[in-house]
Amino acid sequence: MLTGSKTTFKVRQMLPDIKERMLSQSGVNARSRDVFGLRCLPGECVLQRAVMVRKKLTAREGRGWVSGTLFCTHFRVAFVPQDSPKADDNADPVLLGDHDVALASIEKVVVVGPNRTKLVTPNSSLKFTPEELVLYCRDLRVVCFLFDRLTPDAQVIEITYTIAKTYQPPKPGSVLSFQNAALGSVEMKQFLSNRRRNTHMNWYESVSDWEQELERCGATGWRVSSVNDRFEMSTSLPRSIVVPQKVLDTELKKSFAHFNEGRIPRWCWRHPRGSDLMRMSSFQNNIYHEKDDIRNLEMILFGCHSSLCVVVELGEELPSPADIQLAHSRLRALCLGDISTSVSVPDDKWLSTLESTHWLDYTRSCLRKASEVACLLRGGHLTVALQEADDRDMACVVSSLVQVMCDPHCRTQQGFQSLVQKEWVMAGHRFYSRINYHRDNDKEEAPVFLLFLDCVWQLLSQYPSRFQLTDDFLLALHDSIHLPLFSSFLANCQRERCKRSQNIGQSYTPVNGWRDVLHPDSSSDPSDPPLPSVWDWSLQYSKHRRDRFTQPVPPIPPLQPLLNGNLNTNPDTHRLTDTIPGSVFLLSRGTFSCPANLLPWRSGTSGVYKKSHRRAPSSENVPGLERLLKAWALAEFPQGLTSTSAPQGPLDPFEPLLPLLMGPCMGLWRECYLRGALHAQAFSHPISANHPHPVERLAREVQQLKDKLAQVSTSTALKPPSMMAEPRRTDTNLNQNTNNGTFLFPASRPQSATMARAAPPPTSTNHQTSKGAPPASAPPSRPGHKDNGGSNKHTFLFGHSSVAEARPDQRYYPAPNNAKLPKNNGSSISS
Amino acid sequence: MASPVSVYNSNALDTHISSTSRESLKMELLADVSLLPGEERIIDKETMYICPFNGAVKGKVLITNYRLYFKSSDADVAVTLDVPLGAISRVEKMGGASSRGENSYGLDITCKDMRNLRFALKQEGHSRRDIFELLFKYAFPLSHGLPLFAYVTQEKYAENGWSIYKPVEEFRRQGLPNNKWRITFINKKYELCDTYPTVLAVPFKSKEEDLSRVAAFRSRGRIPVLSWIHRENQAVICRCSQPLVGMSGKRNKDDERYLELIREANDTPKLTIYDARPSVNAVANKATGGGYEGDEYQNAELVFLDIQNIHVMRESLKKLKDIVYPNVEESHWLSSLESTHWLEHVKLVLSGAIQVADKVSSGNSVVIHCSDGWDRTAQLSSLAMLMLDSHYRTLRGFQVLIEKEWISFGHKFASRIGHGDKNHADQDRSPIFVQFIDCVWQMTKQFPTAFEFNERLLLTILDHLYSCCFGTFLYNCESMRDQQEVRLKTVSLWSLVNSKMEMYLNPFYTPESGRVLYPVASMRHLELWVTYYIRWNPRIRHQQQSPVEQRYKELLALREEYLKKLEALELSDSSPSSRLANTPNTPTASTPPQQYTQLQTPL
Repeated sequence: MLTGSKTTFKVRQMLPDIKERMLSQSGVNARSRDVFGLRCLPGECVLQRAVMVRKKLTAREGRGWVSGTLFCTHFRVAFVPQDSPKADDNADPVLLGDHDVALASIEKVVVVGPNRTKLVTPNSSLKFTPEELVLYCRDLRVVCFLFDRLTPDAQVIEITYTIAKTYQPPKPGSVLSFQNAALGSVEMKQFLSNRRRNTHMNWYESVSDWEQELERCGATGWRVSSVNDRFEMSTSLPRSIVVPQKVLDTELKKSFAHFNEGRIPRWCWRHPRGSDLMRMSSFQNNIYHEKDDIRNLEMILFGCHSSLCVVVELGEELPSPADIQLAHSRLRALCLGDISTSVSVPDDKWLSTLESTHWLDYTRSCLRKASEVACLLRGGHLTVALQEADDRDMACVVSSLVQVMCDPHCRTQQGFQSLVQKEWVMAGHRFYSRINYHRDNDKEEAPVFLLFLDCVWQLLSQYPSRFQLTDDFLLALHDSIHLPLFSSFLANCQRERCKRSQNIGQSYTPVNGWRDVLHPDSSSDPSDPPLPSVWDWSLQYSKHRRDRFTQPVPPIPPLQPLLNGNLNTNPDTHRLTDTIPGSVFLLSRGTFSCPANLLPWRSGTSGVYKKSHRRAPSSENVPGLERLLKAWALAEFPQGLTSTSAPQGPLDPFEPLLPLLMGPCMGLWRECYLRGALHAQAFSHPISANHPHPVERLAREVQQLKDKLAQVSTSTALKPPSMMAEPRRTDTNLNQNTNNGTFLFPASRPQSATMARAAPPPTSTNHQTSKGAPPASAPPSRPGHKDNGGSNKHTFLFGHSSVAEARPDQRYYPAPNNAKLPKNNGSSISS
Repeated sequence: MASPVSVYNSNALDTHISSTSRESLKMELLADVSLLPGEERIIDKETMYICPFNGAVKGKVLITNYRLYFKSSDADVAVTLDVPLGAISRVEKMGGASSRGENSYGLDITCKDMRNLRFALKQEGHSRRDIFELLFKYAFPLSHGLPLFAYVTQEKYAENGWSIYKPVEEFRRQGLPNNKWRITFINKKYELCDTYPTVLAVPFKSKEEDLSRVAAFRSRGRIPVLSWIHRENQAVICRCSQPLVGMSGKRNKDDERYLELIREANDTPKLTIYDARPSVNAVANKATGGGYEGDEYQNAELVFLDIQNIHVMRESLKKLKDIVYPNVEESHWLSSLESTHWLEHVKLVLSGAIQVADKVSSGNSVVIHCSDGWDRTAQLSSLAMLMLDSHYRTLRGFQVLIEKEWISFGHKFASRIGHGDKNHADQDRSPIFVQFIDCVWQMTKQFPTAFEFNERLLLTILDHLYSCCFGTFLYNCESMRDQQEVRLKTVSLWSLVNSKMEMYLNPFYTPESGRVLYPVASMRHLELWVTYYIRWNPRIRHQQQSPVEQRYKELLALREEYLKKLEALELSDSSPSSRLANTPNTPTASTPPQQYTQLQTPL
């Protein structure tokens, strides 16, 4: 079969060869296994393999080498270590093993021969037998395989050719074939459509999802509007948006035209001290002659705080997408070196070259802006509105960073996933264009999301004990971005995502000329494989990897649910009471001002304005606002003091994690950017790999103790449920264990929440009943009723029910809130 | 604002001041600074501390024969300074009697530990004359005929640190003497070499008279002697000074034969001689009678390691100080850092040591020298030994390493640091030892579980490098120390450390013998030691305690709590616990303590 003649290694055509080369075919038998131990995905076939190959391990993997067998399939380059334990053949398929590289994430293939290095392209021919195969990946990994003298030469050459020919050349259409290679088989499609969705996070897809977030934040005065349910108001906004309760949908509709892309001010998050965070796009320069228009606009903008609104303009001090793209490509080049020539920046110029990429400057400016906003919100009782021209890039970065800094929930894995879902995926960050999977739109490409991940890593490295998620998680997310497989990233907004997954026959003509070009392969082709969400981690990574996504024992203080959005216990809260109602300030370059044209409708000489506001806003309370910012500039960190003395001292869990931004405090995410740098391993020798850090060992031990404690205390029975720490943790364990009611609603759960859930009759809260129903008893195929707010006949087409129809298997809505149902029962019993 | 932290901060220095007395400090101004035995108040004065971070702070300064102490009188800005006089390198008057402007008249104090202090005094009545003169006198006692403070204080400790290093015992630990190497006492009276220790290990076949002839050909008689031997492959690290080749290219048969003996000892095919200097410098040294080993040395190869001399290092650290004190840059930080070249020098020292360690672990003997063999040579040999021998990575082993390679082999601490000497511009001063500790810190960063000691030990060592409170780092060599009766009349720093060991232990230490540590010596992976060089910046402070360490403590506390709860539960109801004991994978009540001991929890 290995017909490559020894004299000429001319590259042959791929396609006719494929069948011949299918060394193992696993299409029909979904659980087949290559004889050399590779667990194939359903439909995946091994194109080539090489035995006696050694893989270089990174510092994180323990350094050194591990030997095994190298495979190339349609979908990945796989490596199976010699003594790896046999995987359970009945386990669910995992796309990538611990040592695998997806073909789509390979950027360049380089071989190292006796005295030379060569970049291998699909058309190149080799004149020597490689000793080393180096795969440079888009996610900045560099994976290095060493061929032993015992590896047959033919295998070495064939696998090199196969990889070079099969990995994704950057051209349109390749993404689809890659998706098909990974997910296209009948078994895989079925498997995916039977997939249970993660119910521990908020997906922000339905009205009730948003209501849940409002409730979690204790945000009153807001409601979820379905005015954009058919994407008629704004193509890039999600179906559900949160707006002030006092604004009616009919009033709301008139304001869309005043904002770029119709992205009106929407609520994002409420600080526990009662301030609200909003985001919006820039104003359209319309003529504001209608009195009602203006009243509505201001009502939306001020949210439920009538007195004070601070508009934070994100354009000026933050990098543009083009800046980010340039910085990132420089950083890449710096960290990987010039791939083909293996020339890298001389070590003595490393620091200044790193500086000149500006990547760290941009990270710093995002963190600074977010810190300013976090300090403002801490002041309490005002509205901070983030404004960006299109509200789809830096607004995502800043709003989510603010929440990571202020809200401990966002520092857990599930909370962080919900946050990304809320502020990025649903808010319409243009993942598809920014990542540029097709390499067909270089102008739009910009790794804004990667910049955000770097910012989160900076926070994590400065406050590691305040995060439940780990840098392993951030790294996994970072790498997944580069796989064109996930619905989360393969669209620019919810509308596109819905189109792809639901095969909507009709499409809506965008009004007002909003451009929203759909990409050819996201059109409705029923044969396209269903795309999983990126949050379906068990599809991507082994349990071993996933276990490292969170700290074994969540950090102290325990992540408790938010109070009622009114954390006014702190005496130094600056209440800006003397504010004139309707004051709007602009925060720019660290100072506040109220330029005349801040709100375009106020700038004119229109008499309307004067009627509604008797006095023009003055700068009187600027000092008050500046005091809020000063606290940060002086770096007075209470936690800094407590941390030295009492580790368990009283610590306000909502005290923002303000990062230090001085030069020496901003680090380079080496584990991500430099993990491939080969010189890093020049002198490293193998060590015992399975040597967890003592902190990890201790954490595991504590976790065991805790589990045991839980076990003992339940078996001793009738212990008050408050004995149990951290409801979140126990929740996860107890999903399988639903009969144990005590774990599910710890005493600390706010009563009001329970009441709100329990009160409405089942018909009006359709979602909950369907979700809450035990899967066995009631398949949730109920198209019927719609959520509260403005339902019309179209809603159910787009609502959750239609999703459920598209994926007929009822397990898609598993027992997300199994927790909720017994709770309802519980409360009714108790009352 | 920064008071609690700054008190915590200076803790590293004054660990013997009990915490209770610290509390009372806040109550009463200066009245009860707990003084060390023998410490005496010299003068105190109302003054204004010009704090670069908080502006001018009113308070009182106290000067004793050991320290300068300042405490603000204003409760709002609680600033405390506690500076051992030994850390002061320069005291200057600032402004004149007629100077205008607020706070322009006073004292400007430059410290060796990366900070400057400014005090403003009242202009009328020559108010600074007395304080200046007294400070000058006690900060530089040797220049004024006064004893160093180490001779004045007599603190008692449970341990005697002077007994930590016994040369013969250390050689025995390494497996010496053996049939290839012998211990010689030829230098018992410092006649062979006055800057070497008395006990030396030399090739078995070399005769005493050979040694003297070799000494004549090596700068200052510092002949090649063994520092360390590899237990398995018997490869050795030898150290010495440069050969006295001179302009004429002199040869010395005895020296050549002697190196051949070193090579033969374990049949190394080629003896590698590491010359730490850049080759240009080595050539230039010929003009002053020095030089390097030429082709006449058969079976030897010479490698230059390109490490710069003491003057370059001094200037580099001075530049580093300029960019970290008082203000730290934001956006041009990295290029400023690069222009100091400090990390680059650290990198060269580390990579030199890596080459040495790599050679030795692959079975080849090496000889290291620079010019005199007491600066760069000490750095290279001690770092290579730290990489090769896990014993030196323990708390006591590290003390032995410093005692052996630095103190006994005559690193000129007195000249390099300038203990008690007023001549701040002395060209002999250089932060060579600081650089070594920096290299060690880099290694602890890259191998967080490989060292038994923690960062606090490194900080304490550097603080007492200057403080003159202990005899450990005083004087240039053993012969001087004997003459000054250092061991009899002063206390060793290791007495302090070893009687409070738990403070200096790394909770994450996992002993692993027989593993060679090769740190990555690349600018991409080296970091500036922020918690040392920028520790006076109040913004840096809150990161003083490593978050990982903090989490470890939290986890320990949690474990305690759970264990207690478990115990309580099992006591309150015995039936479930007995039931649990039957299930195989739940540990019985006795197991947790066992795990406890396994985990090595010294906190």
